[in-house]
Amino acid sequence: MASNIKDYKTSPFFDEYISASKGFRPHTKKIGKYLTSLNGKQLIEINNATESAIKSMGISFRVYSEEYIEGQDRSWPLDFIPRIIRKREWDRVERGLKQRVKALNLFIEDCYNDQNFLKDSDMDESLILDSPAFKDYCLGIKLKHNSWASICGSDLIKDKDGIFYVLEDNLRVPSGVSYMLENRTVMKRVFPELFQHYGVMPVSAYPDKLYKMLVSLSYSRSKQPEIVILTPGIYNSAYYEHSYLAKQMGIDLVQGDDLVVLKDKYVYKKTIEGLIRVDVIYRRIDDDFLDPSVGNKDSVLGVEGLIDSWRNKKVSIINAPGCGIADDKAVYAYVPEMIRYYLKEKPLLNNLETLLMTKKENRRLVEENFKEFVIKPVAESGGYGIVIGKSASKAEKEKTIKQIKKDPRNFIAQPLALLSTSPTFDKGMIEPRHLDLRPFILSGSNTYVTVGGLTRVALKKGSTVVNSSQGGGSKDTWIVDK
Amino acid sequence: MLSRDAEHLYWLSRYVERVENTARLVNVNSELMLDFPGDKTLGWQSIIGTLDNLDIYSRKYVTFKETNVINFISFEDANPSSINNCLIKAAYNVKETRDYLPASSIEQIHNLLNDFKVIRNKKKKVSTANLYKLIEGSQRFFGIINDNFSIGYPFEFIRMGRYMERADMISRILDTLCLSASLNQMHDFKTLEWASMLRNLSAQEAFREESKGEIERGSVLKFLIQNKGFPRSISKCLEQIEDCVSSLPNNVLMKDEIKKTINKNFVAHIDKYDDDKLHIFLQELQKRLIKLDERIHKSWFLLHS
Repeated sequence: MASNIKDYKTSPFFDEYISASKGFRPHTKKIGKYLTSLNGKQLIEINNATESAIKSMGISFRVYSEEYIEGQDRSWPLDFIPRIIRKREWDRVERGLKQRVKALNLFIEDCYNDQNFLKDSDMDESLILDSPAFKDYCLGIKLKHNSWASICGSDLIKDKDGIFYVLEDNLRVPSGVSYMLENRTVMKRVFPELFQHYGVMPVSAYPDKLYKMLVSLSYSRSKQPEIVILTPGIYNSAYYEHSYLAKQMGIDLVQGDDLVVLKDKYVYKKTIEGLIRVDVIYRRIDDDFLDPSVGNKDSVLGVEGLIDSWRNKKVSIINAPGCGIADDKAVYAYVPEMIRYYLKEKPLLNNLETLLMTKKENRRLVEENFKEFVIKPVAESGGYGIVIGKSASKAEKEKTIKQIKKDPRNFIAQPLALLSTSPTFDKGMIEPRHLDLRPFILSGSNTYVTVGGLTRVALKKGSTVVNSSQGGGSKDTWIVDK
Repeated sequence: MLSRDAEHLYWLSRYVERVENTARLVNVNSELMLDFPGDKTLGWQSIIGTLDNLDIYSRKYVTFKETNVINFISFEDANPSSINNCLIKAAYNVKETRDYLPASSIEQIHNLLNDFKVIRNKKKKVSTANLYKLIEGSQRFFGIINDNFSIGYPFEFIRMGRYMERADMISRILDTLCLSASLNQMHDFKTLEWASMLRNLSAQEAFREESKGEIERGSVLKFLIQNKGFPRSISKCLEQIEDCVSSLPNNVLMKDEIKKTINKNFVAHIDKYDDDKLHIFLQELQKRLIKLDERIHKSWFLLHS
């Protein structure tokens, strides 16, 4: 039995720790040596210590469609072997992310105002104007600091060439940042000695940066504007995070019926001291549930009149309503072009090659070379609805091709990316598992990128599905200076 | 503090305290019945009356047999204040306020609910031992809260809920005793009755120390209604509520209301009241407590609901 890293098989993929020809990479040598010195029993001990720290800290998550049963939240899965990225490499990614989000925000504001990009590029107008994410009530709105997607979570992968690519940009209500922070807390408890030997850059500034960003987007003149987090409630899969962030920032975690919009169009929260005006709402519910008078009429999660209040700049909503228009895998294909168009710059981060299924020649290409592509529905998230050509059955293939033909706007195809791997502990052994990375980008008066981000890992051998709702785990992400 | 959170904490606390007090009430009655020479069903009828449940009860049962009554109080779904329903509602309020509560207090509520489910599933009658478990469990819950909660608004709402519920239930228990006393005029029985009442409110030692005398109706009444030191006397409960109110915002009207209630509670010669007069006094008190609860809602929760 391969009990430790000495028997680790490097794979046809890019491995973050070990190069097939040269062994440990320079920045993983130290930890590689340490891991090699541990026997199977010691590894299991470390794993148990990690698990029990997570349990005692109550770090948990919930999977959708599970009935709410108290005490049955799942413990957050953390692999104790960190993912390590050199600072030099990260700096470039950070610049690339800032550039990307800046362009995306300019694009969203453009969509709701002059629509210049639609006129000047070959983007099909209907891609934007007919999208369910396009909100007419945003037309003509301009926001402070251009900040629509004020909190963006972009998913990055490393392909077999060892270079970071952007897989998608999550602009609606991206989650996961609390786990990034908690992973570090756990690792410091379990591995204090490792931190002493590596110059690991801290991640803990995030709640403070988030708070400052939210303040910078307030329309109120107060130096201490009233900020709340709006949650759908305890049944939501990300409730742990909502409550965590509220506590970290020392602000109220509210639900729809804690807020009311009065005749003056301001938003107020209902407290034991009476009504208190709210300046900024960090919302963790989807656009359509924000305001029953505009979106879903049956929504009990939202607040009547909220959108009108926002349109009149009486309250800031973060992320802004309507920003989901740029969170679409078909729009994604145009991001490099947006960067050139709005910023007159060369994109620093790569996109994956993306074929829009609205184009006939692309459809034919995919049909003929089905095995080489991954087909994704444009508006789904959480890894749902993805068809991997290589592993699809004949029936699945035919069904997918039929669906594409019927609704080409709803699908894109990408060549199968070979996600990088990193040593991961699994049942007493250290084996390669596939990874991605979700950094978070904050856009207010300043732009801030998390130091690293949340590394998600597919725990099943050979799997590339990293979503925690589907058996994915996570790793602490270390940005190291040497 | 959000009104919603305050309301959930207040009700969480009321339901937990209600579980404890309901268990105490059943225990008082069970003990009494053992000494009751006459028709036992009469005694069990009065307890349903005390809990204001005659309507719902008589829709389901015709007679007031002990098993029926205890089942009704413990498990009946249609009875909004059945112990089982109180535990379910407590658990619901815990869910909504889990961010405020120490983890061990949350666990305590779930254990209580789960243990009670087990008894229910076995279709056994709830025993005195089961009831003592409930009393201990809810005391443990408040013990954890008192030990781990920093003083502040959330804590005050928990405390206020607890003492509101306690004052309410003590007045109901006293009322039950008045009723059953008038059913039985034997002198010996009455002494037994008051002694058992004190025991079940864990008041026996405190009472003895305070009054040094024989356990007799007048001094017990005075003790349970007007004693200023004993935590399970009505006046102590009201004083606790007054204390909570004084540290909350928006409290002017509530302060006034609680002051009035406290003053009314100190009528002279309560120990000389006969059963009828006492019954009227307790009914009045009940009404004032309902008014207090309404005022609490208006002052702090109504914005939300």
